[in-house]
Amino acid sequence: MEEHAVLEIREVTQKFGSRIALDQFSIAIGEGTVVGILGPNGAGKTTLLRLASGLARPSSGAVLWRGAPVLAPFPREIRRSIGVVTQETALYDELTVLQNLRFAADLFEVQRGEERVGEVLELIGLSDRVKDRAGALSGGLQRRVALGRALVHDPDFLILDEPTLGVDVEARHALWGHVRWLRQSGKTVLISTNHLDEAEALCDRIVVLGEGRQVAEGDPADLLARTGRLVEISCIAGAVEPVRELLADIPGIEQIRVSDVGLTVHLPHGDSPDAVVAALESDLVQGVRVRAPDMVEVFQALGRRDG
Amino acid sequence: MVDVRAVRSAARLEFAQLSRSRPLVLLVVLEAITFLVLVSLFGLTGARAPTALIDYDRTPLSRSFVEHLDAAHHSFRLLPMPIERANDEISSGNIVAIITIPKGFSEQIRSGGTTVLPVTVDNVDADLTADVREALPSAITAFATSNGFPGVRVSAVEHDVIDHETGYVDYLVVSALALAAFVVAGILGAVAITREYEGRTLTQWRLAPVHTGWLLVGKLIAASAVAAVAITLAGLIVVVGYHARPAHVSGAIAALALCVVLFTSLGALAGALFRRTLPVAALFFGLALPFYVDSGALEPLRFDFERLWTAGHFSPLYSAIGVLQWSFHGLRVTPESLAQNTLVLALWTAFAVLVAAAVLSRRVVRA
Repeated sequence: MEEHAVLEIREVTQKFGSRIALDQFSIAIGEGTVVGILGPNGAGKTTLLRLASGLARPSSGAVLWRGAPVLAPFPREIRRSIGVVTQETALYDELTVLQNLRFAADLFEVQRGEERVGEVLELIGLSDRVKDRAGALSGGLQRRVALGRALVHDPDFLILDEPTLGVDVEARHALWGHVRWLRQSGKTVLISTNHLDEAEALCDRIVVLGEGRQVAEGDPADLLARTGRLVEISCIAGAVEPVRELLADIPGIEQIRVSDVGLTVHLPHGDSPDAVVAALESDLVQGVRVRAPDMVEVFQALGRRDG
Repeated sequence: MVDVRAVRSAARLEFAQLSRSRPLVLLVVLEAITFLVLVSLFGLTGARAPTALIDYDRTPLSRSFVEHLDAAHHSFRLLPMPIERANDEISSGNIVAIITIPKGFSEQIRSGGTTVLPVTVDNVDADLTADVREALPSAITAFATSNGFPGVRVSAVEHDVIDHETGYVDYLVVSALALAAFVVAGILGAVAITREYEGRTLTQWRLAPVHTGWLLVGKLIAASAVAAVAITLAGLIVVVGYHARPAHVSGAIAALALCVVLFTSLGALAGALFRRTLPVAALFFGLALPFYVDSGALEPLRFDFERLWTAGHFSPLYSAIGVLQWSFHGLRVTPESLAQNTLVLALWTAFAVLVAAAVLSRRVVRA
């Protein structure tokens, strides 16, 4: 475990009836790091973040805050140190942006609340939208207000549950900018996502979660090295098998599977796709695209390599 | 042409949605039952008012008269007792009237003379007094006919307990203030909490370093203030429109304020328990009329069917109406004293606030 862990989850199991949401799961979040929890829907990410937020108690195992065991609900001083952005923005839709942040400042007993709210509005770039009703904002702007609300009491530790869920590309990158700013400010961040590129872009360390268990852990480069790249091949009708034969003699290919439009070729990370692309110069092939794996493919890749 | 597929899909969707809204379904079912209860209550109220019977004559003829009184269309539930106890019972609001059969009653009847039948009535409202006035001659006539006394002359002499009479409508509208407070404050209190659940903002309460109970109190104050404005307007209509001027002005203001705070708190409790606006609204509307009728809103509940009176104690409106009738009309409509009714209202309020706070503060989900 890390020496200066702000929060540690130690061998935690969380059950809901007969369903096990987390199974003997452990993680330590070091001071000033951004840790990403990566996993598909239902993997146990939100359950883990609820435990880390003090909104739930584990069925077994322990939660430690700066080395000391704590039970939810956390003591007030710990709650003052944590800012949480839940998956639902959970804003007061009928209130303005300013009223939402003011209420949060009041809830967290922020000194010089008005001044702090002004700073946060500046930070999230919504100073010109203070009088807008929260419910009338776009999804991306609502996420920014939710982030502002979590920052208003200047916490040391931020917990962000899928902060870019359901927002467009522009809003997503704006939110990434805010998370990078948090990292530069020395904040400790625990962020859940089901996008590998997001975890790669934001996190110092990634923990991959599947069905309540840790599937893999490492820095983004390490994980990418283990997941490789994909080549999507569009074939003309009835040409799937002939195209597969074109690839038969190329070394290093991990897997070839049939897709909706043709074939998908899995390459290990670091291997060039050039040989594959060169072999596909044929009338049987309509198009070729090289891309990073999606979440499901990450799991397939890690599953192949880790067990 | 009927699009069967669309109809079937919509039906499936509705079933699925209802299966996800079990509290709503349950409460709607309960509401149907409360309407049945409501109809039953209308039939039962005013029936068999408890009436003391003092028989000084104790002859076969006087017993025959008692039988006819007893049969007078659900009007009396005759309770033989000594005069001292009867006086105590009527002054404490336990019985509606005292009928005294004087010594020599049989001889007077047989001799064709006029018999005076003393009847003491708790004329707490004119409607009930009129019921007694109408039921007695009916019983007397039936008694005379069955015993072959065509020329019998019996007249009742009424002694009123209260020095003034209260109009039935005046009585009802003051009771209606309690009902208005129940619905308005109850719904406002409930929505104050259900909004937090429905908007998922309650999580923010639980993450904050403040006790949820205080946030609840703050919300209740605001909701009570808005409800108080609404009830003040209704109260002004009662005073100005119906000329039901409060006998105790400060008492009336305090009673209405207490009712508003109580029902807002009960609304918040319901909101905390059911978490959704629709089921809670259905609950309040469904409970309003049965609570109203079984709370002494139409007449003192003690004068009604014994079980109704007992059941009435489970309704917070029972004590509320007791306090309001005292403050507006100077009437004691419950055997419980003003202080007891006030205490009950305060206890209901404390119970509702504490339980609602406990429910909202349940921060931890343990598997």
